[in-house]
Amino acid sequence: MAVLSFAVDPSKLSLQNSVLTLAQLECTPSADDGLPTALEQELRALGCEFIQSAGSLLRLPQVAMATAQVLLQRYYYTASLKLASILDIAMGAVFLAAKVEEQQCRVKDIVNVFCWLIDTYRGITTRVETYAIGARFNELKEGMAAGEMRILCKLGFNVQVQQPHGFMINYMQSLDLAENEELAQTAWNYLNDGLRTHIYVCYQPSTIAGAAIYLAARMHGVKLPTAPPWWEVFDIELTDMEDIAGHLVALYSRTPSTGLPLTLDELERYVDQIEAQERLASATLKP
Amino acid sequence: MASAADKYIRLEKLGEGTYATVYKGKAVNTGEILALKEINLDVEEGAPSTAIREISLMKELRHPNIVRLHDVIHTEKTLTLVFEFMDQDLKKYMDTLNTQGMIEPQRAKWFMFQLLRGIAFCHDNRVLHRDLKPQNLLINQKLELKLGDFGLARAFGIPVNTFSNEVVTLWYRAPDVLLGSRNYSTSIDIWSAGCIFAEMYSGKPLFPGKTNEDQLQKIFKLLGTPNEQIWPRMSELPEFRADWPRHLRQHLQTRVPALDYTGIDLLGRMLMYDPTQRISAKDALQHVFFNDITMPHPGLHGPYPHSIPSPAMTPQRHNGVAAVNAANTAAYMNQLQQQQQQQQQIAVQQQLQQPTPHVLLQQQQLLQQQQAFQNQQVLQAQAQVLQQQQQALQQQIHAQQQQQAFMMNGRGAGSLQDAAMSMDAAQQGGMGGQGYMG
Ligand SMILES: Nc1ncnc2c1ncn2[C@@H]1O[C@H](COP(=O)(O)OP(=O)(O)OP(=O)(O)O)[C@@H](O)[C@H]1O
Ligand SMILES: [Mg+2]
Repeated sequence: MAVLSFAVDPSKLSLQNSVLTLAQLECTPSADDGLPTALEQELRALGCEFIQSAGSLLRLPQVAMATAQVLLQRYYYTASLKLASILDIAMGAVFLAAKVEEQQCRVKDIVNVFCWLIDTYRGITTRVETYAIGARFNELKEGMAAGEMRILCKLGFNVQVQQPHGFMINYMQSLDLAENEELAQTAWNYLNDGLRTHIYVCYQPSTIAGAAIYLAARMHGVKLPTAPPWWEVFDIELTDMEDIAGHLVALYSRTPSTGLPLTLDELERYVDQIEAQERLASATLKP
Repeated sequence: MASAADKYIRLEKLGEGTYATVYKGKAVNTGEILALKEINLDVEEGAPSTAIREISLMKELRHPNIVRLHDVIHTEKTLTLVFEFMDQDLKKYMDTLNTQGMIEPQRAKWFMFQLLRGIAFCHDNRVLHRDLKPQNLLINQKLELKLGDFGLARAFGIPVNTFSNEVVTLWYRAPDVLLGSRNYSTSIDIWSAGCIFAEMYSGKPLFPGKTNEDQLQKIFKLLGTPNEQIWPRMSELPEFRADWPRHLRQHLQTRVPALDYTGIDLLGRMLMYDPTQRISAKDALQHVFFNDITMPHPGLHGPYPHSIPSPAMTPQRHNGVAAVNAANTAAYMNQLQQQQQQQQQIAVQQQLQQPTPHVLLQQQQLLQQQQAFQNQQVLQAQAQVLQQQQQALQQQIHAQQQQQAFMMNGRGAGSLQDAAMSMDAAQQGGMGGQGYMG
């Protein structure tokens, strides 16, 4: 793949976040590739979790981690998980987001942090001072650079991400909620945890900000003005907020699965196993 | 695999930047002349952040005063950005003039007008250029001026981000950035534009500093050493020093004698110390200085008129030339017409009252103040209404709350109901527990 051409819709300035249609949401490239929807969702969530953890270890600001997660989500709406591993894309997204958000971040540090995260995820506890040696390091580094380039090409360099965090702070201030630290922290967490769902590719940041406040206020039993409803003042639809709130809440009921496939080889074996089990199950059912 | 060479033929070298080489190029299919900006990809660092910024922002910014990005070609070792071709950058153009770099005033005004229109468009779309200087402004035979090199540009939103302060070539860097400010905004581009404004009319860079400190001193020597009175809260900036030598403000006219009274006024507004007081690009376009803006005689290397033409030349007066260039200029004239009509109306209104430029300026200020005041009043009124509404709300809240809770539970369908069980987890949000506010 070498030539990118820009099919830009001139009527829409896409420095605003681009938002997907329902059809795009339901029929992802991975699903087209025969990957079970549940597995895809778990892998996306895992990729985002890696990004969030790596970001904190690297002391990146939240905005960079958020951008990286949105880039990962956007990417897998343009390409299948069978084409580039969740690991390469997660690393590439951190690498790229640090640049987009003007954060100094050394290649060596990103690779080291990911080495550690992978080992921890796989339950390997031998702690090495630094991983930055040998074939494993180079392999990961190359995967990261390739991941970055894949994201850039697939998204046509559309890597500017508008985040809801600033909107949320503004709304809180105008609703006189800024003093309520507990509520603010809950809403803030919703914004960050919500990165693991597809809400960031479906809704504009202002709507997501509103939904986080809406849900946090309900959780803390804080009453907000309803006549006229406060969300109308900010030009947000109630039904949108409810949908987002639903996805956010569902997120916390999910039990994260372990042993997910991180590389392309692992994914292939994992899918083979699922299929083998299914065959076995249907064979034993038959008389 | 398609490569740059399959689609474009590389011709002579046009320029070299810090991270790229720019060549003249020709599209194989159409024969169109283009500019190819070739960036080497570093194995270690991946895609350069300058290229990422430049492409992601420029492909969205379509405006007659911004160089168009047509295509991007990615091969293993290089990234080639394909731009519309421009004849020259403004720096090279000024160097070739046999007037010590001074641009003929009417032409300079036309360039300045276009520069401000390009900036206004960027700012309107929440993009800061952050590296405006003559080398990054491109011009062509049609006397169009376009912003290029968005390698340092940045999208800005609601300011949650702190920006890098490694921006803008020293000579064009705003004093707030020189003093270490990191929450600059659109005003950073206006300062640079002000420096370019003076340079076009005088032929010399306004503040050619050698180091950060020297740069500040050069600014202080012309504009006076700033203090809290003219620049509130400047002492809070990281690089502020209390022991700077005190310089008195000089008249701008002494440095830019070719600029008339209204131009000096505009320049002063662009070079305000306090970034919040610096004029916006949009307001600058409305300044009286541009009331007589006209499309000058095209032809880049036309002779330099020794006497400044007093009545503004209009294309109509030069029918011969205008006809030849009609096609080229038509687009511009259309865009201009509307603005000119507006400006003429304002000018006529003002002239009917009192026509001296001094009074005109005062009136404009007054008008702006009135506007600002009216805006404030409207805002206050709105705030009052909101407050009243909120009070009314609070009285109804009990009833509403119950109703709303009911509605939510009913309508939230599967997702919210399942959720009831996991409310405890959700109560605190934060699965990862990462990312605290602030
Ligand atoms: N579209 C174009 N048409 C003609 N010449 C161009 C064009 N774009 C760039 N150039 C020439 O190439 C020079 C370098 O281009 P540009 O500023 O985009 O590169 P750069 O590497 O970002 O530069 P730097 O980082 O040093 O400012 C310009 O100053 C100009 O002379
Ligand atoms: Mg340049």
